[in-house]
Amino acid sequence: METEVRNRKGTNKSPKVNRKQDVQDLSDDEMLKKSIQKLKEINDTDRDSVIISGDTVVRNYTGDGESAPDTPPPEMAAEDDAPIKPSTQAISHSSVPTDTLSKDKPPLELSLRLDGMSISLFLLAFITRVWRLESPRGIVFDELHYGKYAGLYMQNTFFFDSQPPLGKQLVSLAAYIAGFDGNFKFDRIGSPYDSLVPVAAMRMVPAFFGSLMMPTIYNLLVELGLSHYAGALAAFLMIFDNALLAQSRFILMESIFMFFGLFGLLCILKFRRLYDRPYSLPWFSCLCVAALSLSAAVCVRYFGLFTFALGCGILAKDFWGMVGDRSVSDRQLLGHFFTRAAIFCTIPLSLYIGTFYVHLSLLYKAGPNDNIMTSAFQASLEGGLQAIIANQPVQVVHGSQITLRHTHGRTCWLHSHDIMYPVKYADGRGSSHQQQVTCYSYKDVNNWWIVKKPENEELVVGEPMEPIKNGDIIQIVHGLTSRALNSHDVAAAVSPHNQEVACYVDYNVSMPAQNLWHVEILNPELTDGMWHAVESQVRLIHVNSTQALKFSGRQLPDWGFRQHEIVSDKVIDQEDTVWNVEEHRYTRTEDKKEREREMIRQEMIPTERKNLTFWNKLYELQYKMIFNNQENVAGHMYASDPLDWLTLKRGVAYWISTNSNAQVHFLGNIVTWLSGTIGLVGYLGLFIVYLLRRQRACYDLSEAVWDKYCTIGEVLCVGFAIHYFPYFLVDRTLFLHHYMPAYIFKLCLLAAMVEHGHYLLSNYLGAPRLAQAYLLIVGLWMCSILYVFAYFIPVTYGTSELTSEQVLSMAWKETWDLIIHKQ
Amino acid sequence: MAEDSAKSTKSSAMGGKNLPEFDKLIMSYRRSDSPSMWWAIFGVVCVLTAATRFYKVTEPEHVVWDETHFGKFGSWYINRTFFFDVHPPLGKMMIGAMGYLTGYDGAFPFVKPGDSYEGVNYLGMRVGCTALGAMLVPFAFIIVWQMTRSLPAAVLGSSLILFDIGLLTLNQYILLDPILLFFIMASVTGLVMFQAQKDRPFGKAWWSWLCFTGVMLSGAISTKFVGLFVILYVGLHIIKELWDLYGDLNNSLLYVVKHFMARALGLIVLPIFMYCVYFYIHLTVLCKSGNGDGFYSSAFQSQLEGNSLYNASMPLELAIGAEVTLKNARTGGGYLHSHIHLYPEGAGARQQQMTTYSHKDFNNRWLVKKWNEEPGDWEDDDPIELVKNGDLVRLEHVPTGRNVHSHREQAPVTKRHHQVTGYGENGIGDINDVWRIEIINGGEGEVVKTVVHKIRFVHHLVGCCLHSHNKQLPKWGFEQMEVSCNPNVHDANNLWNIEDNQFPKLPNGSFEIYAPGFLEKFMESHTVMFQGNAGLKPKEGELTSQPWQWPINFKGQWFSAIEGFKVYLLGNPLIWWGNLVIMAAFVFVYFINACKTQRGYPEDPQIKAQREATFAACGWLLIGWALHYLPFYVMGRILYFHHYFPALLFSSMLTGVVLAYILESIPSLLPGIIAQSAYHWLTGMIISTLAYSFYLFSPLAYGMHNLEPGFENHTIHSLKWLDTWEF
Repeated sequence: METEVRNRKGTNKSPKVNRKQDVQDLSDDEMLKKSIQKLKEINDTDRDSVIISGDTVVRNYTGDGESAPDTPPPEMAAEDDAPIKPSTQAISHSSVPTDTLSKDKPPLELSLRLDGMSISLFLLAFITRVWRLESPRGIVFDELHYGKYAGLYMQNTFFFDSQPPLGKQLVSLAAYIAGFDGNFKFDRIGSPYDSLVPVAAMRMVPAFFGSLMMPTIYNLLVELGLSHYAGALAAFLMIFDNALLAQSRFILMESIFMFFGLFGLLCILKFRRLYDRPYSLPWFSCLCVAALSLSAAVCVRYFGLFTFALGCGILAKDFWGMVGDRSVSDRQLLGHFFTRAAIFCTIPLSLYIGTFYVHLSLLYKAGPNDNIMTSAFQASLEGGLQAIIANQPVQVVHGSQITLRHTHGRTCWLHSHDIMYPVKYADGRGSSHQQQVTCYSYKDVNNWWIVKKPENEELVVGEPMEPIKNGDIIQIVHGLTSRALNSHDVAAAVSPHNQEVACYVDYNVSMPAQNLWHVEILNPELTDGMWHAVESQVRLIHVNSTQALKFSGRQLPDWGFRQHEIVSDKVIDQEDTVWNVEEHRYTRTEDKKEREREMIRQEMIPTERKNLTFWNKLYELQYKMIFNNQENVAGHMYASDPLDWLTLKRGVAYWISTNSNAQVHFLGNIVTWLSGTIGLVGYLGLFIVYLLRRQRACYDLSEAVWDKYCTIGEVLCVGFAIHYFPYFLVDRTLFLHHYMPAYIFKLCLLAAMVEHGHYLLSNYLGAPRLAQAYLLIVGLWMCSILYVFAYFIPVTYGTSELTSEQVLSMAWKETWDLIIHKQ
Repeated sequence: MAEDSAKSTKSSAMGGKNLPEFDKLIMSYRRSDSPSMWWAIFGVVCVLTAATRFYKVTEPEHVVWDETHFGKFGSWYINRTFFFDVHPPLGKMMIGAMGYLTGYDGAFPFVKPGDSYEGVNYLGMRVGCTALGAMLVPFAFIIVWQMTRSLPAAVLGSSLILFDIGLLTLNQYILLDPILLFFIMASVTGLVMFQAQKDRPFGKAWWSWLCFTGVMLSGAISTKFVGLFVILYVGLHIIKELWDLYGDLNNSLLYVVKHFMARALGLIVLPIFMYCVYFYIHLTVLCKSGNGDGFYSSAFQSQLEGNSLYNASMPLELAIGAEVTLKNARTGGGYLHSHIHLYPEGAGARQQQMTTYSHKDFNNRWLVKKWNEEPGDWEDDDPIELVKNGDLVRLEHVPTGRNVHSHREQAPVTKRHHQVTGYGENGIGDINDVWRIEIINGGEGEVVKTVVHKIRFVHHLVGCCLHSHNKQLPKWGFEQMEVSCNPNVHDANNLWNIEDNQFPKLPNGSFEIYAPGFLEKFMESHTVMFQGNAGLKPKEGELTSQPWQWPINFKGQWFSAIEGFKVYLLGNPLIWWGNLVIMAAFVFVYFINACKTQRGYPEDPQIKAQREATFAACGWLLIGWALHYLPFYVMGRILYFHHYFPALLFSSMLTGVVLAYILESIPSLLPGIIAQSAYHWLTGMIISTLAYSFYLFSPLAYGMHNLEPGFENHTIHSLKWLDTWEF
C-alpha cells in the first residue's frame, strides 16, 4: 500500500525500494548539476546543508570492499560531524566532489578541535555541582550505605549489596586517594561526619560524572540531527534542575550510572555515522567505547541493562539497514555481525567480571552481614567463620558433632529443644506430641547434632573412623536431648500438606520410630563422595517416606517460640531442602582420659581447606544478588509510585539539620518537570497526527524531517519508556530518584520538541513573526526555570537556615512534605 | 477408543491400493474445495469431540480440586448469599444457573476436595461445563479454516486440541476454565467469521458476527480478568483492519469513520454494557448477608439482608456528644477498639491498648467531645453542635473513660509510626488527646456525615494520622490489629468512617438515601476485587508454579488424589513438545525469510503470495499465544499450571497450520514415486500418532483406578517420562 502511494507521487527520496532505479534515472548532467550545488553547500555555514554534503561525501566509500574502490581510502575522508542515518538516506549520486574535498587534507594530520559549547556546559554544571560541596557535613540519605561501603572497602571487609560494585569502587577510590581510613561509623542519616572523612573527595565523584552528563547530552542531541541550540537547551534544562543537581552532589550512584549510559548511547550514535568506514580506527573505537561505557552503566546498577538494551536495539536497527544494503556482500554482512557481536560480548563480560574480581579480592575479611552467604563462602573470608572452623576436622564420620545450616535463602540452623509439639493446634488438628524440631536463626547450643550410623550404638568416633559417604544411611541425634531426628505421616504444624519432623519420643502408641535418613550429597565430585563439613551440600532424604528435610519458610506460633518450621516434603529438588555442616567436631566422651586421647588424635587430622576459587565465589555472589530479596522497607514515608513521578507529587527528605530548619529535600524543578511531561505528550500526539495523515498520503513533513522526527522518537521516547515502565512491575519500595534516568530522556525530548515547534512555525506555517514570538516565549520560559531553580536552591544545597515560614512557602504542593522543626 | 482411529484409517490405511477414487478424495481434501468434504470432516471431528469429552463425565463422584470453590459459589448464587471472590461473576453465575436449571438445590456444602457427591444433583453443572469445553475443538476447526482456507490445516489444528489430555482434564469439571476457554475461542471464532464478511460490510451477517464477537469478549473478561488478553488480541486485529481501510485512498474518510464507529459499537460499547449487565445481575441476585460482607464498606453492607446495618436508622450527621463506632475504611478494616489491658513493658508507654477489631463489640464505642470541654448529658437541652470538617475533637472510650491519645513513642509493630494509647481518667486527659477531623474531599465547614464520609484524624500536636492496617499485635494484644499514628498523612490506610452513630437529640434518618447506587456498588466491588487479586501473593518459602515450566509440560497438577480414583492434569507431551518445536521452527524460518526479503532476493510471486498468507495466519496465532502467555512472567500473583491453557490453544492451532504447510511442501522435495503417496502416509502417521498418544495418556484424565488389581503393571507407569511428573 505504502509503496504504491509513494510511487504515485514519484518522489525520488523514497528509500530503498526505488534506489537502484533512481540512480539509473538520473542523467549525467543532472548529476553534474547536483555535485556543483553540493560543492557550494559545503562552503555554506548553514548546518543542514553540511549534513547533506557530508552524506554524499561519505557515501562514496560505500561499495563492495572486495572490488577495488575508485575513490581514496577511508582515512582520507573529510572530518565531519554531521548527523546522518545512513540506512535512511538516499544513496549517493556522484563521485565527483570527493577528490576535490579530500585534496584539502594532508594525509597525516593530527587535528585538535575544541568544542567551546561542550566545555562551557561542563564548566557551568561543574560549578553548580561543586559549590560548597562539603556542606552539609552530615550523612545525607543513601550516603549512609555508599559511605559505609567505601569505609568497608578501606578496611577490606566483606559486605553484601544487591547492586554491582563499580560505582562504589569509584567512590572508594576517591576516598582512598584522599586518605580515608574507613574508621567512621555510618550509623544513621543526619549524623555529622568527623574531620577524617574526606566528604568532598567522595562527593566529587558523582559531581564530576553528573557534570560530564551535560556535554554528553548536548552532543547526543546534535548527533540525533538536532541543532546546537536544542542540544544546549537540553543541557540547560538539566543543569538547572534541582533534582539532578541534588542527585549529583551527594554520594549516590545515579549520576555515575546515567553518565555511563548516555555516553555509551552517544558512542553508538557516532558509530552509526561511520557506516561507510567500517573497520577503521574511529569505527572500532566508537564501538568499543560504546560497549565499555554501556557495560559500565550495568556495573553500577543492574537497571543499566535497560540502557544497554536500548543501545543494542539501535545497533540492531542499524544492522538491519545494512542487511538491506545490496552493496554489502553476504560474507561481509556475516563479518560485520560477528565483529559487533564479539565486541558486545567480550567487553561487557570482561568489565563485569573484572569489577567483581576487584571486589572479591579487595574484600577478603569477614564482615557483619556475610552470614547471608553460604558457609563455604564465609569460610573463605579472613576472620569470622573461618576463625571458628579453622581447626575443625573436615571429614564427617560416625560420631561427628555438627551444626546443620540451611544453605540457601534464610540463614538458620537445624534446632531442637526439650519441648513437645502441642497436642492440638489452634485449627483443631492433632500433632504427634513429640519433641519440636525447628530452624533457628541464631547460634545456640541446641543447634548441635550427632551423626551416627544406625548399626552402631556408641556415639563415639571409633578407631578406625567410619566416614560417611554419599548415599549412606544415618541417624541424627540431638546433642542435648539425645533424641533422634524423626519424620512420619503426621501433618506439619503450619504447612499441613507436608510431613511433620520431630525428635522421636517413644510413647508406645504404635508409632514406631522412623529415624533413618539417606545422605544425598549434591556436589560429591568435590570431595570424592565423602561428606565434608562446610563444603558438601547435602539433602537428607527420609528413608521411610522418601521425603526431604525442608525449611518451610513459615514461622511457628508462640508455642514454637516463633522459630521457623521444619518439615519434610515430597518435592525433593528444591532449594529449601539443601543443608550443609557448618561447625563440626568429633565427639569426646565424658571420660577425661579418652578426651585427651581424642584431642591428640585430632591434631593428626588434616585441617587445611581448599579456598574457594574466584569463579565459585563469583557464581555464589551472583546467585545471591539475583535471588536475595533485600529487606523491603514497605510504606516508607517518602516512597512514591511511578505515576506520581510524572507530576512530581512527592519529593524525598534527604537530610535535615538537627538544630535548624536547614535541610536537603530532593525535589525537581517543577516547571521543567511539567514541561517535560507536556513535551512527551506533545511528541506522541503529533506523531499520531503525522502518521494518520501520512497513511492518507498527506506528507506534511519532508522525508528528511520526518525521518529525523522518527529517529528522535526511536531513541528518546523508547529510552524514556524503557527506563520508566519497568518500574510498574517492580515489587519494591520506589523513590523519586528512580525516575531520574527516564527523566533525562524526557528532557531531551522536550528540547527536541521546542525545536520542532520552531520548525513548524517558521517552515511549515511560514510565519517568521510567529516564530520570533515563539522564541521570545521560550526565553521567558527559560527565565521562569531559572527563577524556580533559584527559589529552591536553599533546600537543594541545604546550606542556609530557614524559618518555618520560608519552608512552608516552598511547599507548593500539598503533598510536598518538607520538614519543619517544632519549637 | 475405536472411534479415535476411525479417521486415521480413512486417510492412511490404504496407501497404494485401488485408487483413483481414493486419490480424488485426497486431492479434494488437499485442495479444500468441496463443501461436502468439509462438512463430512467437520462432522467427524465433532463426533470425536463429543465422544472423548462426555466419556466418563460423571466420574469421579466426589468433589474434584477447585470444584470445592466454584461449586460453592454456584450454591451461593442459588441461595442468594453474598460472597466475595477475586474473579468477575459471569462464570460462577453460569455454573449457578446450570445447577439451578438442572434442579440442584444449592444445599451441598462443597467443603473440601474428595467429599462424596452422594445424592447430590451435580451432573447438570458438570455436563454444562464439559459441553462448553467441548466446543473448543469445532471452534478451532473454524478458526484455522477461516484463517488459511485449508482443510488439512483445520483438521490438524483441531485434532491437536482434540487429542490433548490436559484440555480434556481441565474441561471435564465444574471450573471456570472451560467457560473461560469457551469464551476466548468463541471470540476468536466470531472475529474470523466477521472478517470473512469483509466483502459485505454492514450486511446482516456482518453485524451479527460483530455483535457475537462483542458478546463473547464480554463473556471472557467477565469470567476471569485474563480474558483481557483476548480483548487485546481482537483489538490488534481490528486496529490492523481499520488501518488498512483508512490507508486505502479509495475509501472516503466518512466511510472509514462509519467502519470505526460500527466496530466501536460492537466491540467496545456492547461488551461494556454486557459487562455491567452481568454485574447488575450479580449484585441483584446476591441480596442476603453472607461471609463476604466484611470486605465491603458500611454503606454497601447496609444493603444486604441480614446484615446488622440493614434497614438501620440513626442520625445522619455527627454531633458533639454522640456515641459512635469507627471503621477503618480500607478493605476488610476493623473497628477502632480499646480494652482495659495495658501495653506491655517494652512496647512504648504503659498505657491502655488501642487496636482494631473486626467483630462488633461494646468496646468499640467512642464518645465524640469538643477539644476543650466535656459534653453535657443527652437529656440536657444544650444546643446541638455538629462536627464540621477541620474541627478539633477528642474521642473518649465509653467503657473505660480514656481518650484516644498519641505521642512520640514508637508504635509496637510498625516502628516508624507513633504509638496510640488510651489515656486519662474519666475523659480528662491532656493536650495530646486532641485530633483534627478532616473529611476527604470535603469542603470548608462541611458537616461530618455517618457512613458516607471518609474521614481522617490528624493528631493536633504531632501532625500524624490515626492509622490501622492488617498487621497483628502479638499475643499480649490478643492478636488484634495494630493501631498507630502514621506520620505520612496521605497513606490510604488513614481513612475511617463512622458506622454506628447514637445521638437521641438528632432525628434518626434511614440510610436508604445514602444507599449506594448500582454504579457505586460496581466501582466498589472492583476496588475490592483488585485488592484481592493483588493480595494473592506467594508466601515466603511457598512453592509456586513458574511460567517457564508450563510450555515444556514440566509438572502437572493433581486434580483428584483420592485412592482408587486419581486424576492428574498434564498435557499430552507429544503435542506440547511438538508445539514448541514447530513454533521455534516457524520463528526461525520467518526470520530467515525476513532477511531474504530485506536483502531483496528475487522470488516467484506466486510462491511468495502463498507463503505470505500462511505466515500472516501463523503470525497472528503466534501473537495470540504470546499475549496469553508472556504477561504471566511479570505478574506478581500466585500462578498455576492451568493458566497456560489459553496460550496452548493458540500454539496448537499454529502447529496445525505449520504442519499442513510442511506436509504440502514436502512431497515437492521428494522424488516422483514416493512423492505421490508421501502426503497420505505422512498425514496418516501424524493423526494416528496423535490418537495413539491420546489413548496412552488418557488414564490420566479419565481416572486411574489404582486400587484395582493389576494397576501395578499398568502402562501408565512406563509413561512417566519426566521425573517431575508425579503420577
